[in-house]
Amino acid sequence: MASEIQNSNPTILNAADLPTRLRPGAPRKSGAYGTGIFTSALPSATNANDPFASCLYLSETSDSEDELMEEPIDEQEIYDLISTISDPEHPISLGALAVVSLPDISIKPSLPNVPESPLRTVTVLITPTITHCSLATVIGLGVRVRLEQSLPPRFRVDVRIKEGTHSTADEVNKQLADKERVAAALENGTLMGVIAKMLETCQ
Amino acid sequence: MAAVAITHLSDLTPPSLERTWLTAPHPTLPIVATCSSDKTIRVYSLTNFRLLSTITGGHKRSVRTCAWKPHVQGESVLATGSFDATVGIWRRWDSYGRGGESGAEDWGLNSRNDKAGEDGEVGNDDVDDEDEEEWRFAVLLDGHDSEVKSVSWSPSGMLLATCSRDKSIWIWEDLDDGDNNFETVAVMQEHAGDVKSVAWHPVEECLASASYDDTIRLWREDIDDWGQVACLKGHEGTVWCIDWEGVENVPYSQPASASLAEQWKTSHALSGPRLISCSDDRTIRLWQKQPKEQQQQQLNMPSIIRPTGTDEIWTEEGVLPSAHDLSIYAVAWSKRTGLLASVGADGRIVVYQEQFANEQQDSPAGEAMDTTDDSTASPSPLQTGWNVIATFDGAHSIYEINHVAWAKRADRGREEGKEEEVLVTTADDGSIKVWTLGL
Repeated sequence: MASEIQNSNPTILNAADLPTRLRPGAPRKSGAYGTGIFTSALPSATNANDPFASCLYLSETSDSEDELMEEPIDEQEIYDLISTISDPEHPISLGALAVVSLPDISIKPSLPNVPESPLRTVTVLITPTITHCSLATVIGLGVRVRLEQSLPPRFRVDVRIKEGTHSTADEVNKQLADKERVAAALENGTLMGVIAKMLETCQ
Repeated sequence: MAAVAITHLSDLTPPSLERTWLTAPHPTLPIVATCSSDKTIRVYSLTNFRLLSTITGGHKRSVRTCAWKPHVQGESVLATGSFDATVGIWRRWDSYGRGGESGAEDWGLNSRNDKAGEDGEVGNDDVDDEDEEEWRFAVLLDGHDSEVKSVSWSPSGMLLATCSRDKSIWIWEDLDDGDNNFETVAVMQEHAGDVKSVAWHPVEECLASASYDDTIRLWREDIDDWGQVACLKGHEGTVWCIDWEGVENVPYSQPASASLAEQWKTSHALSGPRLISCSDDRTIRLWQKQPKEQQQQQLNMPSIIRPTGTDEIWTEEGVLPSAHDLSIYAVAWSKRTGLLASVGADGRIVVYQEQFANEQQDSPAGEAMDTTDDSTASPSPLQTGWNVIATFDGAHSIYEINHVAWAKRADRGREEGKEEEVLVTTADDGSIKVWTLGL
């Protein structure tokens, strides 16, 4: 895309400072595994090579996965999906560059007047690293593509530039909100090559 | 009129497994053509709601739009527009040596063959027959630089308008010389953004276009140059779709007020059919041409001697009652009943009706739009308002609805001797649904 790097020295956040669900939950979890019923009943479970232990471990994770399926998708989950996307210019994640951040993600009912509707609108405000970054559209498209591919279809994805952080925000926002343009972009080989590279670092 | 119910009649099956963009009802036969992201066009029967044939191999990317050429005898001609920047013209004999009337049955017959339902292939027991039953690729119109968004045939079928993300509108003349030759008549580039939709005036050679630049523009031929005659501003977002009022349309009135309808017709004859538009700004707006007696006289003359300065003054007559929570992708103004339908990203179908203001007492307050006449202070008996008479949420479950169209009802469930209409909606999951209105 761009032949010259537009922002050669971006601010990078420490990975430990990025929001995650694991840290607040971690002590509780280790407690459950450490002193819970399985450890006391099956001391050998601490042995990672024990086939029975790994069996238990597997059933444990599949249970928690089932719980996750029923859990409503929250902002942290959206963050986890998009923070690992790489910047098109740097081999650095959008989370570390603070292009996406947890407080700038919101999930709201799409049809407030229809309480029984399952439709939800995910709004992600992105903060380009510099105010004139011409790659803002590509980054926004990457975020939109990532969410559309990962979220159930009842989610409407709304990706916008955070107010006051970009010189042509309105233009970029209009393009990102245009379903037809996004659909056509997904059929554009060159563009999808760039997006695929950005999404390589996800999962 | 009291509220009516929108009832699901049937799905068109089997559906595309990818997003479908638009479904175009045939002007005379009980069939529709659906454009899909899977690069094909599916032709379905409105008689039994089954797939009749699939047009493949013409486009390299999503097929976004299609339109049937009107007034073709014995043959169906379909124009298709794709994200691959080209426009395809396809032909198929309605009936091979069986007379014009059997055209409709012929379509029904094919669908009885189960194989046709599976993959769109008609029975291959007779090779000669198969050739004649198939869609014939006629010509590829090449000119646009990027995705083609909409195509529309002029009322006579002589001209084809196409528009694209490249901000241009092309007008092609179908030379009808038996060799599938089309000639470029005009290229208009005034729009400042993608041109999303083009629609011809129901009887005149006047084209309306809607754009990403938030405007609607009108185009006419002046001497031998096509040019813009009006630019309509009012929407605060991309204008997705436009449609014209039928020439014979009159707002709904009680049977007793037939004279009112006549008065209304006379007063609207000078301004001509109105235009409806829907937008990303979640509004539907109604536009009216300012009647100019002078202009009217000119229009009655042959177009060749129409003087320059054909500018038309269009005004926004009003905004329809707000009924959508997200972008509105399509509006359809019924040429038979005058009812208006809209669909969009919220998955909702809304049907509106225009009626005379003095007959609106029983309608719920706040829902009606008054099309107040600026020039007169006292309320005119001809003043009209629009009411939402039906809504249906989640019409395609959680999916966005990309298109809505009115079509003549053709299945066995219709009432004999009565002309009924159905709504056909087209959605992101590939589903196409047919609905009746319980009036």
